[in-house]
Amino acid sequence: MKYIIKIACIAFGLTLMSCGDSFLDKVNPTQLTAGTYYQNQAQVQSAVNGIYSQLQDLTSIQWINTEYISDNTSLHFNVGDRGQGPSLEAIEYFQINSGTSNITNWYNQLYRGLTNINIVLSKLEGATMDNALKLDFEGQCKFMRAYYYFQLVQCFGDVIIVKEPIGTPAEAYNFKRSPVADVYTLIESDLKTAITSLPDRASIAVNQKGRISKGAALALLGKVYLTKKQYAEAVTTLKQISGYSLMPKYADVFDPQQKNNVESVFEVQYQANTDIGEWSGFIYNFYPRESYGAVIKFTNANGGGWNIPTRDIIAAYEAGDLRKAVSLAEGYNNNSGVWTPIPFITKFYHAHTVVNRPGDNWPILRYADVLLMLAEASNEATGPADGYAYVNPIRVRAGLAPLAGLDKASFRTAVLKERRIELAFENHRWYDLKRTMSPTELATFLNAHGAFEKSNPTTNRGGIPFSAGDYVFEAYEALFPIPASEILVNKDLTQNPGYK
Amino acid sequence: MKKNDPMQSHRRCPMLQKMVTIMKLTTVLLFLTLFQVSAKSYSQETRLNLKFDKETLENVFSKIEANSEFSIFYKNDLIKNSREVSGEFKDVLVSNILDQVLKSENLSYTIKDKLIMIVPTEYIAIENTTQQQGKKISGKVTDTSGAALPGVSVVIQGTTAGVITDNDGKYSISNVSENAILRFSFVGMKMQEVAVKGNSNIEVILQEETIGIDEVVAIGYGTKRKRDITSAVSVVNIGDIPEMPISNASRLLQGQAPGVVVRQRTGTPGEQMNVTIRGVGSLGAGSDPLYVIDGFAVGNSIGQNLNPSDIQSITILKDAASTAIYGARGSNGVVLITTKNAKEGELSITATANFGIQNLPTSRRVKMMNGVEFATFLQESWIDKQRYFNKKEPTIDEIPLGIRYPEQTQYSTNWLDEILQQNSGFQDYNVTIASGKGKLKSLVSAGYLNQEGAVKYTGFQRFNVRANVTGDFNDYISVGLNTVGSFTSERYAGTNSRDGIIGKALYADPRSPVYNADGTLNAYVGGKDGVFGAANPLMELQQHKRIKEVTNLTTNAFIQITFLKDFKFKSSFNASIDSWRRNEFRPSTLAGGGFNSPPPQNATLAEYYDQFINIAADQLLSYNKTIGSHKIEGQLGYSAQQSRSRNITGTGNKFPNNDIQFLQQAETKAPTSSESAWSMLAYFARLNYDYKNKYLLSATYRREGSSRFGKNNLWGDFPSVSAGWRLTEESFMKGISWVNDLKLRGSFGVTGNNSIGEYNNAATLAAAGYLYNDTFSPGVVLNSFVNNNIGWEQSNQVDIGLDLSAFDSKLTFTAEYYKKITNDMLLSVSVPVITGFTSTLTNVGKVQNTGFEFAVGYKTKITNDLSFNSNFNISFNRNKVLEIDGKNKELWTGSFYGVQNRSVIGRPIGMITGFKVIGILQTDAEVASSPKQDGAIPGVYKYFDGDGDGKISYDTKDMVEIGNPYPAFNWGLTLGADYKRFDINLLFMGAQNYDIMRDIEKTVMNMDGVFNILQSGVNRFRSAEQPGDGRGATSNTWKWERESNSRYVYDASHMWIKTLTIGYNLPANSKILKSSRFYFNVDNLLLVTNYPGTNPEINTSGDNRQPGRDDEAYPIPRTFSVGAIIKF
Repeated sequence: MKYIIKIACIAFGLTLMSCGDSFLDKVNPTQLTAGTYYQNQAQVQSAVNGIYSQLQDLTSIQWINTEYISDNTSLHFNVGDRGQGPSLEAIEYFQINSGTSNITNWYNQLYRGLTNINIVLSKLEGATMDNALKLDFEGQCKFMRAYYYFQLVQCFGDVIIVKEPIGTPAEAYNFKRSPVADVYTLIESDLKTAITSLPDRASIAVNQKGRISKGAALALLGKVYLTKKQYAEAVTTLKQISGYSLMPKYADVFDPQQKNNVESVFEVQYQANTDIGEWSGFIYNFYPRESYGAVIKFTNANGGGWNIPTRDIIAAYEAGDLRKAVSLAEGYNNNSGVWTPIPFITKFYHAHTVVNRPGDNWPILRYADVLLMLAEASNEATGPADGYAYVNPIRVRAGLAPLAGLDKASFRTAVLKERRIELAFENHRWYDLKRTMSPTELATFLNAHGAFEKSNPTTNRGGIPFSAGDYVFEAYEALFPIPASEILVNKDLTQNPGYK
Repeated sequence: MKKNDPMQSHRRCPMLQKMVTIMKLTTVLLFLTLFQVSAKSYSQETRLNLKFDKETLENVFSKIEANSEFSIFYKNDLIKNSREVSGEFKDVLVSNILDQVLKSENLSYTIKDKLIMIVPTEYIAIENTTQQQGKKISGKVTDTSGAALPGVSVVIQGTTAGVITDNDGKYSISNVSENAILRFSFVGMKMQEVAVKGNSNIEVILQEETIGIDEVVAIGYGTKRKRDITSAVSVVNIGDIPEMPISNASRLLQGQAPGVVVRQRTGTPGEQMNVTIRGVGSLGAGSDPLYVIDGFAVGNSIGQNLNPSDIQSITILKDAASTAIYGARGSNGVVLITTKNAKEGELSITATANFGIQNLPTSRRVKMMNGVEFATFLQESWIDKQRYFNKKEPTIDEIPLGIRYPEQTQYSTNWLDEILQQNSGFQDYNVTIASGKGKLKSLVSAGYLNQEGAVKYTGFQRFNVRANVTGDFNDYISVGLNTVGSFTSERYAGTNSRDGIIGKALYADPRSPVYNADGTLNAYVGGKDGVFGAANPLMELQQHKRIKEVTNLTTNAFIQITFLKDFKFKSSFNASIDSWRRNEFRPSTLAGGGFNSPPPQNATLAEYYDQFINIAADQLLSYNKTIGSHKIEGQLGYSAQQSRSRNITGTGNKFPNNDIQFLQQAETKAPTSSESAWSMLAYFARLNYDYKNKYLLSATYRREGSSRFGKNNLWGDFPSVSAGWRLTEESFMKGISWVNDLKLRGSFGVTGNNSIGEYNNAATLAAAGYLYNDTFSPGVVLNSFVNNNIGWEQSNQVDIGLDLSAFDSKLTFTAEYYKKITNDMLLSVSVPVITGFTSTLTNVGKVQNTGFEFAVGYKTKITNDLSFNSNFNISFNRNKVLEIDGKNKELWTGSFYGVQNRSVIGRPIGMITGFKVIGILQTDAEVASSPKQDGAIPGVYKYFDGDGDGKISYDTKDMVEIGNPYPAFNWGLTLGADYKRFDINLLFMGAQNYDIMRDIEKTVMNMDGVFNILQSGVNRFRSAEQPGDGRGATSNTWKWERESNSRYVYDASHMWIKTLTIGYNLPANSKILKSSRFYFNVDNLLLVTNYPGTNPEINTSGDNRQPGRDDEAYPIPRTFSVGAIIKF
């Protein structure tokens, strides 16, 4: 019997040399393993960079849910390909339901961003690095978290609050939606931390240019207060912002040659003409379909035509407004030289040398917005007297006469309109409408807009009529539905009223 | 020679049967004519001590074998009525014992070395007494391959007089009367009787007897006699499958075994077919079986490199008891493939050739509108819009010029016909040299196959060489080495799905010409009158070059050591190296691959290089012992396997010209590279116990670790047990003579599934950089939501079966019932996105497959010249989701505009789901009075209000189950007949009562006028007065027409006459040419179905959860071929 064992051992040993669990330990060599990351400054910095990077992903779809749905933009109706029907068209035509994929994508992208934010926040404590640095990273992450929750709470109302990374699938099913007030509590608390932890823009190193500063946190907190109609707090907070001023020319604000300029409070960074994945694709979604290079000078380059200015906003520009030609074009000459009256956004179109690789940054907060918020908040708090000083520099830059002699209500209307034009296509309009109108007022307003679009479609519809339900906005649609896919996996989630 | 199983197996058979080691027995029989020259040997030196106490002869023989190295052969019925014997023998020769125990029986014996043959006494007697009366007949006996058969018994019918053929297969028998009949019989061959009729020279070819119950078949890590098998195992008898023009070995399985569904999803040359054994058991992980070639578990695919003509036999393991020995890879069944070896004593060269032509029959081509019909459609749809929306009748001058005069349409192109090749060729050549002489047997083969595609500019080529050497190095050590190298080259096109070339050809504008006036290809098709512009499909096939080349080198080697009499140790090593190269160049002269992008476009190039290295080592210790009526076999094994793949891909865009097709020419280029690996370790054991051949018991156990699982669940345990009861061994069955063999068996086992891909057990970070000060800074984000507890998917399977062989084994019958429950499925389930991800791989859910399988075989000889054989199998599988997850009651896959599949508890996986069409809305009044469908107008489909809320919402809420993609049953039938030297064989197969959604029709019945339309579209709805055939919707809108709905669901029940082969065997006519065979074959002969697509076995989705989709694929051609097999 010993003999048998001996032979078996020799033979087995041949393969047992590589044996044991270590033989079964296979790690993906092409990617970093998350479990052992976030240990030191370099690793945490790269994870924070990842958080910024996800803001690019978020911004690339933000226009669908905040601009496109408003009265600012519409779509270049595609007779031949209605494949976008249930998603993009649903939003433009107010045919949203809990399955509308662009709403789901928006919701998902927001929580995706939050996941990375929460991971970094939870790992900061254990990472080996300077405490001041930790504080700085915490400030940046908490600004981001506040920004994400602010988007969520405005779009969806009550939402799930998740502040820690979720470890197993089982845990994820135990969350319920928190009331709006609780979400704002978190947002304010995060922003207050950010304000105390973050450096002023002036003290940020050149090689960090474009990152979040204290000014950005103040501006965002001001916006939160404004949204919550805490006007006095809004004024106090926004007034603390210093070191920013308006660019002399409106066009310079969006010029890729002058990124992160003195007016920029916070913008999403992009880079043109390279293959490192940092280009911004906005204009390729916005400019007209089937323009075949007539608009963007690359042979056969076609746009999506999804986010085009409405006749309504084109008409809203006052005569002589210098911002109009910067922001939009009312049509273009096609390759045969024939005028084609399809309007498109030009604000985010700047020359680039490689097709599909523009580099326009996307403004999230800029000083003009701060000034307009101050004008709005101070008017609501104390009347229009203080507001002129904030709004008029913007009008003057646009080549328009300054405002004067308005009562509180007229000033309110004037500032809202000024915001629409000054911040056109920068994804503020939907939130501005929701902030300044009750859901019923919003419904009345948007139904009027819809009726106008139905009778004067911005683009030709090729003989295809609107459905009866198109452009019918009901008050409950002021909040988006919680995606059906989320309710399917978590039966504890409630749906917003009005949606099935 | 050591006695072994196949040898012993011969003792108790009711009649002489086929054994795997026919040739070994040949040697035994051979000595009958030569025994007088045998030298002093084992039998004359070995002395035995034995004691018998009232024992049957059977037991006596067993004891002699158990106490010596002798093997004893006899026909069972010779000793059936023998008396019991007693006696004690001390230190005596075996001949002394035999003389003693056989003396009262009419039996004698012959001995050569360690082999003993028991024969009737008079048989020996006649051999020795030569009476010169009557005629002398001589001749030669060969097998169908022409090889001489030594040892064949030639007996004059009605007498016991006979002789045995010599080493060259020759015989000479005297004293034969003019009207006598000679009977030729040989183990494993069909007995033949030939009337003398005055001939003095009679040459005979004996046919092999197929599927005997004594056949030895491959099982996991070993072999077993078919009749001893207690689990569900199907054997595909390669000898029963006629020659066919096939390019992939998976085709050999089609229609052959119950419970094994082999679907040819497309007609792409060389493509492997989709094999499902006993239903889809998993929602998340793969459902392909494990393929084991010559003991090497190569994975869930056999790929394209295995030459079908190298295959000797295929065994399919179906139940858990047979597959548990493969542990984590066994739950979808195991296909064991054994390649050819030289037969003992054989020395031959075999050459085969097969030429064919392939065509897609006109009846299987989809009919689209011609130029005039489509132009008319465009005009009518324009007019219909005016009538409905503007309430006016347009004058001819108002109609846009492009569609004003449809009858004047200049061109009418049938794009499908244009891209199909007429008479594309099929060629297959093989040469095999086998040498079975001497201790080491060797076989070398080379093959070349060239299959042109039924679609132009596609095709497949393969070169193979194989060499193997096996044999006994000495009495204790045997070795084997098998090396195969192959190279395949495939020219392919994106042919599947609506965006593939077939779809494109269907919906291309028929009013566009193929060629310009100057004879060049028209580069841009459509693009006017609202029709989408696209590349010319023929030009795309010609100029978008896509090539895949695979080089494979596989080696198996083993060494087996026999020691301590009953032990064997086998160590084997397998390695396979695959190199893939793919190259795709799309020149600037082609229009874009999508729509409305006329040429020139930027040229693009993609180059992929992949390398796969798969290494496995197995150590196997076996023990074999027979103690009286108890037979014990044990095995202990250890297996380690590792596989690694590496890839490098380069893509380039925008080339200065189309002539130099290399990446450095490209203006923009991007390289990527990757690597992945997996490994597994397993320990396993098997115990077989057999009592009197009556009660059979088998148990296996495997413990396996896989790199694919989380630390907490690295190892899995897979036990199984099976038992069999051979009723025919019981005394109460002795009287029932028509039953040759009857066995009841049952099994239970646990198997696993680890087909979840690599690295799903650890979260990784993906690159996601950002910019500061316009300078790139690298960053990372989480890449997946990882479940650290991810563990094994386990299937518990019960199988109950019955095997019957009756009427002289003319009839064989197998029936089985099984129930398989898969637990803890590795399923990508939806998780709340607050985790950061919408899905993760989790162990959830339960799926059940239950089924019945029946197989019947019948073969009979009708006259001397005519025999008939047939095999029929049918299987019924029922699939049911038992559990998905506490929170996930249903799983949706697919898309609103495509096919929705839904898995819901209590129903099968992935039922086709969508709106149920209950008619076409005829009038505005009907639109108004029906449940509200926002945007509906007369002529759109009227949908069933699934949730009963009085409105049809434009989402999935009103969707209901509209189709079941699983056949009620699948069946296969083989009919064969031999008449003299001719034979004919027909294979039928089919599936009944299941549905497919013909997704492509949402494109080719797209009434927007942007694509060409099915010819049946002329009968669409135009108005309440012209309602059409009730199938085609109005062209006035797009909404409520192409969502996932029941309009596009069809019954796909079908029957194929898959293959017809007629063969002719020439008589062996010279010393050089041993045999030659010629045949004619029609493959994919006839399809009988109401399904409107070209292939009712199609599934354009590769996902288990998305069955029953037809988005159009490469059509399956009919092939006519002729071939020859010539053996020297």
